[in-house]
Amino acid sequence: MKEQNTQVVDCSGKYVVQYSLPMVPGPDKVRWNATVNGVNVDFFIDSNAILLDVLRDQGGSLGTKRGCDMGTCGCCSVMINGTPKLSCLVLAQEARSSSITTVEGLSSGHYLHPIQQTFAECGGSQCGFCTPGFLVVSAALLERNPSPTKAEIKTAIEGNLCRCTGYQQIVESISKASEILVSGKGIDDSTSSKSDPHPGFSGGLS
Amino acid sequence: MSDIDDSEGVLHESLEHSLENVEADIYVDSEDVVGDIEKEKITTDVVKESEIVGYRQQPGKLPFSKPGSGGKNRFSKPTDYSRIPRSQGGSLEQPWGAHRHDDLISGQVIGKSTSLVDSNWKVTGQAKYGDDIRLPGEVIGRILRSPHHYARVLSIDISKALDLPGVLGIATGDDAPGKFGVLPVTKDEHAMAVEKVRHVGDLVACVAAIDEPTAREACRLIEVEYEVLDSIHDIKQGLEDSENPIHDRGKYHIGESNVQKRVFQQFGNISEMKDSSVASHDSDWTFTGVNHGFTEPHAVVAHWDPSGRLTLYTPQQVPHYLHRALADVLDIPMHQINVYRTFVGGGFGGKSDPFPHEMCAAILARKTGRPVRINFDREEVFWVNRGRHPSKISMSLHADSEGRLCGIETDALIDGGAFASFGHVTTYYNGVLHTAPYEIGAFHYTGARVWTNKPASGAMRGHGAVNSRCAVETGIDDLAEQLGVDPIDFRLANLLPPHSATITGFRVTSIGMRECLERVKEESGWDEKFRKMPLGKGIGIGCGFFISGSGLPIHWDPNKFPHATVHLKIDMDGGVTVHTGAADIGQGSDTVVAQSVAEVLGLPLDMIRVRSRESDTSPVDLGSYSSRVTFMNANAAISAAMEIRNELLEATSEITGSNIEGLVIGDRRIFNKRDPAVGVSYLEALHKAQEDRGALVSSGSYRTPPMGRAHKGAAAGLAPAYSFSAYVAEVDVDIETGQTKVEKVWAAHDCGKALNPLAVEGQIIGSCHMGMGQVLSEEMKYGRTGHLLNPDFLDYKIPTVHEMPEVTPIIVESNDPEGPFGAKEAGEGPLLPILPAVVNAVYDAIGVRVSELPITPDRLYKAIEKRCRSEGVKEPLDLEPPRLELTALQEILQSRAINHSRRDKERRLTDSPSPYHNGALFGLDPEIPGDEQDSRWAAVVIPPDDYLEDPGLAGSAWKHTERRHRSDVE
Repeated sequence: MKEQNTQVVDCSGKYVVQYSLPMVPGPDKVRWNATVNGVNVDFFIDSNAILLDVLRDQGGSLGTKRGCDMGTCGCCSVMINGTPKLSCLVLAQEARSSSITTVEGLSSGHYLHPIQQTFAECGGSQCGFCTPGFLVVSAALLERNPSPTKAEIKTAIEGNLCRCTGYQQIVESISKASEILVSGKGIDDSTSSKSDPHPGFSGGLS
Repeated sequence: MSDIDDSEGVLHESLEHSLENVEADIYVDSEDVVGDIEKEKITTDVVKESEIVGYRQQPGKLPFSKPGSGGKNRFSKPTDYSRIPRSQGGSLEQPWGAHRHDDLISGQVIGKSTSLVDSNWKVTGQAKYGDDIRLPGEVIGRILRSPHHYARVLSIDISKALDLPGVLGIATGDDAPGKFGVLPVTKDEHAMAVEKVRHVGDLVACVAAIDEPTAREACRLIEVEYEVLDSIHDIKQGLEDSENPIHDRGKYHIGESNVQKRVFQQFGNISEMKDSSVASHDSDWTFTGVNHGFTEPHAVVAHWDPSGRLTLYTPQQVPHYLHRALADVLDIPMHQINVYRTFVGGGFGGKSDPFPHEMCAAILARKTGRPVRINFDREEVFWVNRGRHPSKISMSLHADSEGRLCGIETDALIDGGAFASFGHVTTYYNGVLHTAPYEIGAFHYTGARVWTNKPASGAMRGHGAVNSRCAVETGIDDLAEQLGVDPIDFRLANLLPPHSATITGFRVTSIGMRECLERVKEESGWDEKFRKMPLGKGIGIGCGFFISGSGLPIHWDPNKFPHATVHLKIDMDGGVTVHTGAADIGQGSDTVVAQSVAEVLGLPLDMIRVRSRESDTSPVDLGSYSSRVTFMNANAAISAAMEIRNELLEATSEITGSNIEGLVIGDRRIFNKRDPAVGVSYLEALHKAQEDRGALVSSGSYRTPPMGRAHKGAAAGLAPAYSFSAYVAEVDVDIETGQTKVEKVWAAHDCGKALNPLAVEGQIIGSCHMGMGQVLSEEMKYGRTGHLLNPDFLDYKIPTVHEMPEVTPIIVESNDPEGPFGAKEAGEGPLLPILPAVVNAVYDAIGVRVSELPITPDRLYKAIEKRCRSEGVKEPLDLEPPRLELTALQEILQSRAINHSRRDKERRLTDSPSPYHNGALFGLDPEIPGDEQDSRWAAVVIPPDDYLEDPGLAGSAWKHTERRHRSDVE
């Protein structure tokens, strides 16, 4: 595996090392498969890889965010077999053969999940960095419990930090999404004077 | 094709119909009919049919969007007159009078709760933040950081690291010796250490490698020889002369000390005022440093493209200042650099400096010829810091027998850490930003910012104003108690009126402070609760005052450059492209700019597309700091849109024959005010205006008006408008553990006009959250050896959802005369009042005045024990909560507040109110500035000798003499 490195003189006259494999004693590559957002994937990954890295670097889920790397902020939450987990604290190998849902897997095509609609409409998302984590956690909550109380909502999102909203509008967004799910009625689009309503992007369920 | 036939059929059919029924049907309230009638009216009455042929579908051509809509929906919505101001014949009440932008209101989006225009990108996970930029062939950058607080770098040996396979390039300070910094007067940062490292975590070298493990290993292999120097951690020690000052300012160096900036300001005669006072408050505050705690760690991607230009992808609040710094450090012209602002995962001031790691990425990318991506871990974010300054503030307030605030004396010593950052400004803001909203008799401020060997402090939400505001507002609470009056009534009787000048000469235009106080008083049930709740439960008030944009740009070259510029481009599709450099950091600046354009042109929001990311295409904007974006960018957007609007009106006038003055804009339609049926669709007018020239383009800009006085430092704190806020907080203190829980907050903020109430409420609640963190739990803790103990979110405690109180946001709209549609800022000001409101509520609950933040259980319990000891009470539960007995002064204040309220209402409604300068309450002529009437009110900015005999803590910085004024230095 180890390749000889080659040295080349760069324009400033210094030696630089050109492109070769690392000599660092690295992990073995192992074969890994899972269902990510409904698609079967099959990769070679580092045997010690963290799920977050696999999802971001190989799984194409850049929506899953890295905020702290130690399970304190909740930005990297994903659903593993329906249960929200912090992907920065999960070894990819632990999640082998599981079904993983990231924020990208919440909508169906252009039809947004109610929780996505309400986060946009009720101010649940400001800078948006923590949003994927909150969406995954609250979508998991609503799947288990379509009409949670305020206390249940707070308990569900207690592991997620948001620095912009002060949580109040997030809690409102989740309550509102629960209303949509229970009643089956869509919400008004706050940018409603649209010239041409986007089919599926807002208002109405899929 | 059948589509087209159909629509033409409808047109002809209804054309005949309309000829008979025009009178009866004009402007009926149905979307479906209105569009048709408008159309026909034009064709029949005013324009010959041949003239509109251009808007019909040409046979054989592909279907082209229908007139007016820019989409499949061809119908215009009737104007909602409840959104049109009274001054324009609508029914929207204007208790603060008319506004210069009233005639631009088309009732589309301004004042409506609107989701952010980019929110769907965020909720689908498709928004690209710094670390989400992945370019083909990228390599990973990693930074080697100093393990020492303060050391001279003797040598760096990179040979072993370079030999590591997979390492593509290494850079050190030698690669970029140029200095940079956000303020041109204090450029004191390097890309990597040149000579010295100044704090643990300071940059020494950087590595580009094919993956992260290799880059980390390479950093380990770099051998650095340090000579460790004596480091400074205590803020007071920074005031003293040092053998090795952390920076050398050359002839401007203050003594041989670590004082980076010192300020002395005195207005009015403080000692006379002190003598006439009947109540005084003195406190010595200690504020610890806090970090922004944004969720996205810094990340940057640098790419030199084949044509030799650099594109730097970075989540930045100030892309323009970064642009300048990159040119300085890389030594290339600015036009060779494209700064691309990615989505920003929270800024709060923490991403508003040009950063060394951004330089590193560019240097490595130049070395390796490949895109370089650097992503921080959370610990590195704390090493970069730029959070709120740890500070020691002495506050003295004096009130006289008439219940006037006759003197404020502030001494603020602030800990700048290792670099200057925004420190120059912060040092001023700690003083000058508490000279309002109250009319004061004298103001005395000494401030000093010192370098210490810690990560640099910088700008953070509420920049420079938060800590001293907390000290002022708790002091006022104490004064009111000593005087035996209600603290809200005390404030109401001492407010500056609209269109007045503060003691330092700031121009206050609109002020909604009184309404804020009245609303929170009413909604919180203040009168039933204050000083009446049982032990452990308390309620408190705090106020805030903050700038809405800063009067001067940071860079003064060229002098008359605008602060904000917006370009518009509309091609034949009818969509409007808005080019702005305003940095959307999640606060919704793209949305506000889009709203402003949509409102003026009468378009739905989705016809506006904002392009604000790249310096290549965006006009220069100074960035997202000082709460300037809404005020300045929306103003620039309005003036750009007005140009287009005029062209559309001219075109309409040409088509319809109506006078331009008689035309108004509604939803995708321009029509005659008197006869709404006479008009054209937006697209018709647009295409007429585009004849012979193609796309309409326009440019609008904003520059602050000349303001302020001339004394040294007069520009710091100057703003075209100021925001005001008042919060009431209700707390529950566990007396036996010292645990404080904030239960409820009533938060009133005067933002001038809420362009997007949803976003304003979000800002208010979010500010509460951040301020709550500082007052109750957040603290950057440094250990005995000076190491930061908690650079992570486990130990740096940001409030979670369980700690958040129930916040009732109250929006007060004072309709600022110069703001866009009357708007002022709402991003930073709302943070200020929450700290003192909680501190005052804690006093109301248990009778203990804290003077150290955060109020952690251990600190508060110690204070409770102290009170028990001093009162001889054994059990904390036996303590008596404070009670208030009103004195005769209360009635005097109340009647003065009523008079002032009347005065304020008159002043805000008159077109040209007479001048009002601070000091009128103390018997001066309001029309003439205090210093012109009485020499004792003149500004003094150099400390007199008698002050230096017994200076305050920060004031002692003035004992040093600058090198250039000393004879012992060459």
